[in-house]
Amino acid sequence: MNHLSSETFDQNAKAALADAHLRGALKNATSLFGERRKAAAASLPNWEDLRSEARAIKDEVLSHLDRYLEEFVGNAEARGAKIHWARDAGEANSIICGLASDRKARTVVKSKSMTTEETHLNIALEAAGMQVVETDLGEYIIQLADEPPSHIIAPAIHKTRGQIAELFNAELGMPLTDDVARLTSTARATLRDRFAAADVGISGVNFAIAETGTIVIVENEGNIRLTTSLPPVHMAVMGIEKVLPRFAHLDVFLKLLPRSGTGQRLTTYQSYITGTKRQPTDEGPEELHIVLLDNGRSRMLAHPVTRQSLACIRCGACLNACPVYQQVGGHAYGSVYPGPIGAVITPQLMGIQKAAQLPFASSLCGACREVCPVKIDIPRLLLHLRGEISPRKGKLSERLAFKLWAQVMMRPSLYKTSSVVGRIMQRFVPVAKAWTRGRDLRPIESKSFHELWSDE
Amino acid sequence: MNNTAREAILGSIRSHLAASVPYDKLEISDGSSRIKTDCNPIPSASISDQFKASLEAVDGHCVVVRGDREIAEALTQIIGVLPKTNIAVSDNPEVERLLQLTDLEIEGLSIAPNARDIFRFDVGISTAQAAIAETGTLVLDSTSERHRLVSLVPPVHIAIIRGSQIYRTLGEVLTVIQSARDLSPAVTFITGPSRTADIELTLAIGVHGPQELYVIIDELN
Repeated sequence: MNHLSSETFDQNAKAALADAHLRGALKNATSLFGERRKAAAASLPNWEDLRSEARAIKDEVLSHLDRYLEEFVGNAEARGAKIHWARDAGEANSIICGLASDRKARTVVKSKSMTTEETHLNIALEAAGMQVVETDLGEYIIQLADEPPSHIIAPAIHKTRGQIAELFNAELGMPLTDDVARLTSTARATLRDRFAAADVGISGVNFAIAETGTIVIVENEGNIRLTTSLPPVHMAVMGIEKVLPRFAHLDVFLKLLPRSGTGQRLTTYQSYITGTKRQPTDEGPEELHIVLLDNGRSRMLAHPVTRQSLACIRCGACLNACPVYQQVGGHAYGSVYPGPIGAVITPQLMGIQKAAQLPFASSLCGACREVCPVKIDIPRLLLHLRGEISPRKGKLSERLAFKLWAQVMMRPSLYKTSSVVGRIMQRFVPVAKAWTRGRDLRPIESKSFHELWSDE
Repeated sequence: MNNTAREAILGSIRSHLAASVPYDKLEISDGSSRIKTDCNPIPSASISDQFKASLEAVDGHCVVVRGDREIAEALTQIIGVLPKTNIAVSDNPEVERLLQLTDLEIEGLSIAPNARDIFRFDVGISTAQAAIAETGTLVLDSTSERHRLVSLVPPVHIAIIRGSQIYRTLGEVLTVIQSARDLSPAVTFITGPSRTADIELTLAIGVHGPQELYVIIDELN
């Protein structure tokens, strides 16, 4: 149950729908995040202008990505960072494992990074004999439970405090409690030991600034600051799409990202890291390595529709807004990137045939497009990807039903009769059994629109 | 191999971009003509009061004082109630000077302890290089002061700033940082104490960074 496949979304979703606890947790989380986002967006008078500007900046970067990447690399190297290029996940993992092994690293602390989830870096590091510790509280919990994250910004929302208490009891020997503050302080104390012992710190990157060579990482907990300040070696892993041209462009993105993600005005911490320390007496790591990961991203540039996928800033707003995600949660997508954005990114990263059900895991309602801070037209992307998948031949009964429906819709008298018959039949015969297994079918109104109209 | 990967990735970017149908290129701003985005401006309040209100909204504490004597009083009040007083200060001599003005009994005092020693301290005290009123944010620049660890590891962080260091908006501060000829290795923005909501979305303060954040604003300087 823990590690599901993208190839079996339909089955995964069915299992998730049967999990009453999961659906309760999802309802709480997605509605709370959704309300906070709405309030935070409303607190700025020009939210729509910001979205447009953010998208314009991303479009500019993506249409000259080679140039901005080279500018970023040049400036970061000039300030002492070492740059590594990785064509795919395997290459990224072997670069990182190689660097860590060369430094005889035994303990690696990590802060939350979707990109290293994508490459399954932890498995590679552990295979190389290193202890890897996720330090974000949510990531730490799911690492102990050996589960993948279920939400981009709240990885453990599917777990109750009771389950977490049992986990801490079994793994850390902590007495059972339902006090969230005590669970949190136990994690703090346990992880402080790991920070003190760490040889290498690995982080992700939210934004990379071309004109200064700076990487920017945002967070609330402080584990990113610890990961990037305490160990002697810092490695940052980023997708090649993370570049922004200018430092001042952060003004737009730092307004959009926290508000869209958690509804905060600003996250508690932002770390702006530009190269390595200048003086031996300066605080911070001796070495900074930045790994640039392609892993299918450059391919997405080849079409204006797919290219939009690379504008994503990983805020998670589309997950919270999506009626499908709200019901099935993140694990059903079988990918580190769940929800609407996952349904478009996963098939492009993993190959469309490995995630062919995902572009269909949407009603195309457009809620994701409404909330996206960089205005990604996800429904259009989903349709585009559906078009690339060899057409699914529906069942014979389904095809006949649609043919019949078309015939009825074309003849008003037949339509009138069928709605009367349908109204009576619905009471006695269960219709569309497969469809209603996971959904409720509304009863047909006692009077049709036609009848109401002629009554007037 | 690294060069091969570099050329392969850049080549792939170029060929896929070239293969794409033309994209409507949109003019982007250079940062100077950006949209004005002051949020929740409080026109009547002083900038220190606006900073204080923003910081308190995210569970931080803030006292506005005038002059050295009042700073020392504020430090005494904050530190005096703590059960243990092993104090780590940044290497800004002002911090130690102000601490000496208090009548606190201090168990241990260390200036900018390193990554190995920093874990045993109860309080970290530093200044900051700038602040942002609209968000209640401190801006720490690693070249100006060694405060990266004292502001992060001890459970209590106290920052002493001058009223004149407070900017109104995030955008203003980003422009100032950008204009620096050479960016410091680490610039850190701090807005309130460390927080998480990773367990059942229940807010917990002080998960990895400080559990308490105090900002003392000196309006006299």
